[in-house]
Amino acid sequence: MDWNFLFVNILNGVVYGAFLLLTSLGLSLVFGLGRVVNFAHGALYAMGGYALIAVMYGVGVGYWLGLVVAPLLVIPIAMAIERATIHPIRQRPDVDTLLVTFGLSSMIVGGIEYVWGTGTKLLPPPAPFAATVDVLGNQYPLYRLVAAIVSLLVSAGVLAVIQFTPIGLRIRAITDDPGMAEALGVNRKRLLTLVFGCAAGLAALAGALGAPVFAIHPEMGMNILIDSFLVVVLGGLGSLTGSVIGAFFVSLTKSIGGGYFAEWSTAFLFLVVAMALILRPTGIFGRGRVG
Amino acid sequence: MTTEALAGRAIAMKTEARRRQATALLIVAGAVLLALLPFAGVRSFTITLLTEALIFAIWAMSLDLMTGYTGMLTFGHAAGFGLGGYAAGYFAREVTADFVASLLVAELVILSVAVPIGFVAIRLSGAAFAIVSLCIAQVFFQIAVAWRSVTEGMDGLVGVPLPTVLGRTINVGTEFYLLTVLIAGAVCLGLRQLVISPFGRTLGAIRVNEDRAAAIGINVRLHKWLVFVMSWAIAGVGGTLMVFMKAGTTPMSLYWIESGNVLIMAIFGGLGTLFGPVVGAVSFVFLRDALTTGFEVWQFAFGVVFVIVVLVFPSGLAGIVSRIWMLLWRARS
Repeated sequence: MDWNFLFVNILNGVVYGAFLLLTSLGLSLVFGLGRVVNFAHGALYAMGGYALIAVMYGVGVGYWLGLVVAPLLVIPIAMAIERATIHPIRQRPDVDTLLVTFGLSSMIVGGIEYVWGTGTKLLPPPAPFAATVDVLGNQYPLYRLVAAIVSLLVSAGVLAVIQFTPIGLRIRAITDDPGMAEALGVNRKRLLTLVFGCAAGLAALAGALGAPVFAIHPEMGMNILIDSFLVVVLGGLGSLTGSVIGAFFVSLTKSIGGGYFAEWSTAFLFLVVAMALILRPTGIFGRGRVG
Repeated sequence: MTTEALAGRAIAMKTEARRRQATALLIVAGAVLLALLPFAGVRSFTITLLTEALIFAIWAMSLDLMTGYTGMLTFGHAAGFGLGGYAAGYFAREVTADFVASLLVAELVILSVAVPIGFVAIRLSGAAFAIVSLCIAQVFFQIAVAWRSVTEGMDGLVGVPLPTVLGRTINVGTEFYLLTVLIAGAVCLGLRQLVISPFGRTLGAIRVNEDRAAAIGINVRLHKWLVFVMSWAIAGVGGTLMVFMKAGTTPMSLYWIESGNVLIMAIFGGLGTLFGPVVGAVSFVFLRDALTTGFEVWQFAFGVVFVIVVLVFPSGLAGIVSRIWMLLWRARS
């Protein structure tokens, strides 16, 4: 057995898991808060990548500044989208928001294709991290490790905000019991707009941070969206602990299985998730109701 | 019950029966009208588009049975359609191009898959069912990509021969169009009979409120299971026609974008009506043809239409028509 091959696959899995964590946290937060299954999350991820390109080549700023600016550009756009499309149909059944965000996803991807074309754009890793490092005898791109560490730090920051700040308390209160939280004076609508925007910001950050690793193309959000769905469904819709564990389960299964069984590993993963959902409709770590 | 009440009931039943007959006649008349189009000097390109539209209409009607009539929102309806296409196409190429035999094989494959999958999937409802349906379709997509020895991977299944019916080869063009009209008409008529039957009314009860339906003694899971399997089976009829029309299929027929397409066709036309999906499918095909000059514009326009329809006209074109009808009716009386 080739241990090096396995080791590199595991490393790739951890790196991908860090990105997946950023996107799934946002998806999970938005679902917990507003019962909104956001189909446009992948498109917002792609938007992050293209916002990075726009500020880097359009305005001429460096990579690191672009990495900060890109999510900040996406946040207000996402908040406006939430106000215009999801806000007005809050009273309708949950599935209507699924339909709307599905349409939004197509709109955003179509818009990106219109402005930037359908081609793939490659971005070189930023200067100090362009080299490879020696990890247990394997040459591994340094930037991937840096990006994974940044993702993990940001994710930890998000979890800390949810756990230790007043706004995090409100978010947890609504996820736990919306009726009671609203009765106690938490403004759910305003909070949802804010959290939707921030979740989009996280997705955009993941898209921008991942640009030198995964390349940029209009459909880049679709795969990570479906993987993020698997993560939140597996971990329990709205459960953040579940998202953390789910993200690494999905990414490791994909990368290790992918190394040996190619696309069959994804089919296997889908089966696992479908079975998990049927045995435990609220997800492995989920509480409360679904659907 | 008083005599007047009995008489009123008898009249109501009679008008209801007459209305049903009128609808059935309307479907037959519509099919005959469509069948006459190639002989009325309609361009062959338009006929090709119409063939595609009617195949999509079969598919959209099957989705409507599940989503519109029973309330199970699916984001994975490409599965039945694509699977049927692969099964029929493979059989037609390897064994015999007989249309009926290929269709039967496709249906057998779909049944053997949809029966167990449906058995577990229908335990969920709402958003959870929607996500799982998407996952199921993506599994089929991945299998179609990975199982190269049968599906030929991303290249897709090619070289499907022209179908034969009773030993006679059906040429692409007018002949195939007529076959499609015949089948689409039969599916529409059959579904019409199904949804006005007591079984169809039961589905309506499940759509409105699953818990209450269960409380009055309806076996909700059994009904949802049957609908799931029937819906996939009808989608497979569309898939079979499509694989013969295109002389092949690719994994993209199972991709989730296709599931989104069929969903918008049904919603655009109006869920919970049978004419809705048909009108939606026809509009979809012709709109796409008009807008595909630039693919980017098409996808953007698709998204805009999708969002506007869901936000402003959740009941689709059929809803708008019935609202106008109601206004006219009220103005008259």
